[in-house]
Amino acid sequence: MPDDFHNDAPPLPESASATPTTADVAAPILEARDLHKAFASGDRQLAVLRGASLRVATGESVSIRGESGAGKSTLLNLLAGLDAPDSGTVHWQGLAARLRPGVSGGARTRALASLRGIIFQSFYLIPEIDALANVRLAGAICGLPRKEAAARARELLARVGLSERTRHLPAQLSGGERQRVAIARALVAAPPLILADEPTGNLDEHTGDAVVELLLNLCRERQTGLVLVTHNPAHAAKCARQLTLHDGLLA
Amino acid sequence: MLWPFYLALRQLFPSGRWFPFFTVISILGVALGVALLVVSTSVMGGFGYQIRQMIVDTQGEVQLRAYGLLYEPETVLDEVERVPGVAAATPFAEGVAMLEFARKPAFPAVQGIDLERAEAVVPLRHFVRAGSLDALDDDSVILSAPLAQSLGVRLGSRIDLYSPLLLERLKGDQVVMPRELEVVGIFEIGHQQLDNALVLVTLRTMQELYGLGDAVHGINVKLAEGSDPDAVAARINTVLAAEGRPAQARSWLDANEDFLFVLQLEKNMIFFLLTFIIVVSAFSVASSLLIAVVRKTREIGLLGALGAQPVAVALCFCFQGFFIGVLGTGCGLGLGLTFLHFRNDVVRLFTELTGSEQVLARFYQFSQLPSHTARGDLVLIVICAVVISTLAGLLPAWRAARFKPVEALRAE
Repeated sequence: MPDDFHNDAPPLPESASATPTTADVAAPILEARDLHKAFASGDRQLAVLRGASLRVATGESVSIRGESGAGKSTLLNLLAGLDAPDSGTVHWQGLAARLRPGVSGGARTRALASLRGIIFQSFYLIPEIDALANVRLAGAICGLPRKEAAARARELLARVGLSERTRHLPAQLSGGERQRVAIARALVAAPPLILADEPTGNLDEHTGDAVVELLLNLCRERQTGLVLVTHNPAHAAKCARQLTLHDGLLA
Repeated sequence: MLWPFYLALRQLFPSGRWFPFFTVISILGVALGVALLVVSTSVMGGFGYQIRQMIVDTQGEVQLRAYGLLYEPETVLDEVERVPGVAAATPFAEGVAMLEFARKPAFPAVQGIDLERAEAVVPLRHFVRAGSLDALDDDSVILSAPLAQSLGVRLGSRIDLYSPLLLERLKGDQVVMPRELEVVGIFEIGHQQLDNALVLVTLRTMQELYGLGDAVHGINVKLAEGSDPDAVAARINTVLAAEGRPAQARSWLDANEDFLFVLQLEKNMIFFLLTFIIVVSAFSVASSLLIAVVRKTREIGLLGALGAQPVAVALCFCFQGFFIGVLGTGCGLGLGLTFLHFRNDVVRLFTELTGSEQVLARFYQFSQLPSHTARGDLVLIVICAVVISTLAGLLPAWRAARFKPVEALRAE
């Protein structure tokens, strides 16, 4: 059984992992303008987003709160490029530079994936492979060379306090440990922005606090931007900027 | 290693699980299909191979037959042996005679062979089970084992042989005296039809029995290694025509063309029909992988969210079909070849249990289950099984590649 894998794609440009310069600090990594999104509900359209706009600067942490069904996850999916808005634009700094003329939609997906890491409420780890392989797999998908992906995965797992648990399967980890693996996975390609969708939703209060603290620290030390969707006011308050999604608009 | 390749292996064989049920069932399905295909094509090949070998062993690779009688056989033999590609040649005379022992008659085919030349062409010594070929002279005979058994003849018994020539003498009111011959050997070719009714005598005895003088009925020819039987037969015919000999040479392939065609057709049909077993098992592979796609919808969505391209996700499932095909084929080959190795033990056990020991020999002509595994057949089976299994992964792969990450992640 193989214990190793790599991607034959070329390594990411240096800018993907480089620490931003002073000049970049105020530059937006992500700029979403006037996002609209509606879903069909029976025979009528249910508007979830009605012109939401968001600008995230390099290294900035932004929290988004809102009631259940307010459209937080929908907004995050649009920002992550997993879904398309009905209208409005999402502009990623550096995305155009990563794409050569004539590249396919698949290459765009991978380039976009190297700009943002995603953390889900339900962790979504692949159950058949261990913690280290889960993190390395994300690196491989983003085009990291084998050795670099392995080194980064080990370093990040050590950083989230799981250096002794790298060979454990997700089923052998606690909820908090799984979310730490998911954090390491989101950071492995050194993206400039992390999109976290209620990362503490499935954790107890104490573990949730620790996970958010860890996430914020990691983002801070790596100058990585963070968009944190959460219900928890205390977690939201730890971010540099707090926004609320209400009636399809961010305020 | 490409990550789809790695993930495919891990999904088939997750860490910490000794018995991945779906994987094992899928592999087993392919393995059984392949094993059955290997066994049946090998046994069919074995029947064909034995029949071909028996024809060559008893007739030579090229047989020259006279239109009537072939006179001056020594001269013709010299001419034939000078033809390029001919290694050896031996004359024969043949006919039917009545054989009697202890008031039991039999009507076997009698073959007169030239002892000095015959062994260079047909491996007679190989078939002798009792007595010796060396003891055969003009006053002795070698019988096939079933014939000796049915007459109650043993080595040293003396039998009476009546030839059709005696009928001519009867017409002339002459006293008819059979030819008394001593049994000096018992042979068994292994083919029921030949063993039942064949008697070997010296060529001179046969010539006397039939009143042939020095003439023979034909010549069996053995070819040099690697010679083409049809080409050599054609060259011999050219020589025969040039010398004005009333005879024709035919290769064993040509003489048994219809029979060999039927053999090959049977084998091809069996291969074709049994390939459907692999197709059926491929459906089970496809259904297992489709179930896996449904079970892993959110993981597939996750891969998309992490940046995996649809083609890479599809590759992951194609690889799974490929691995199942490769492993199933490997296991099937092992299983099939193991069965073939112990086939006679298995058949013996089966016939003992069902009390049908004689059926195999009586109806299938062979005392043991023959087997001949052609390398080409194995290559074809391996290619078919792996390709069909890989194709079985295409539908699940296509379905997985069509998932939109955001929808797949929402799946319950």
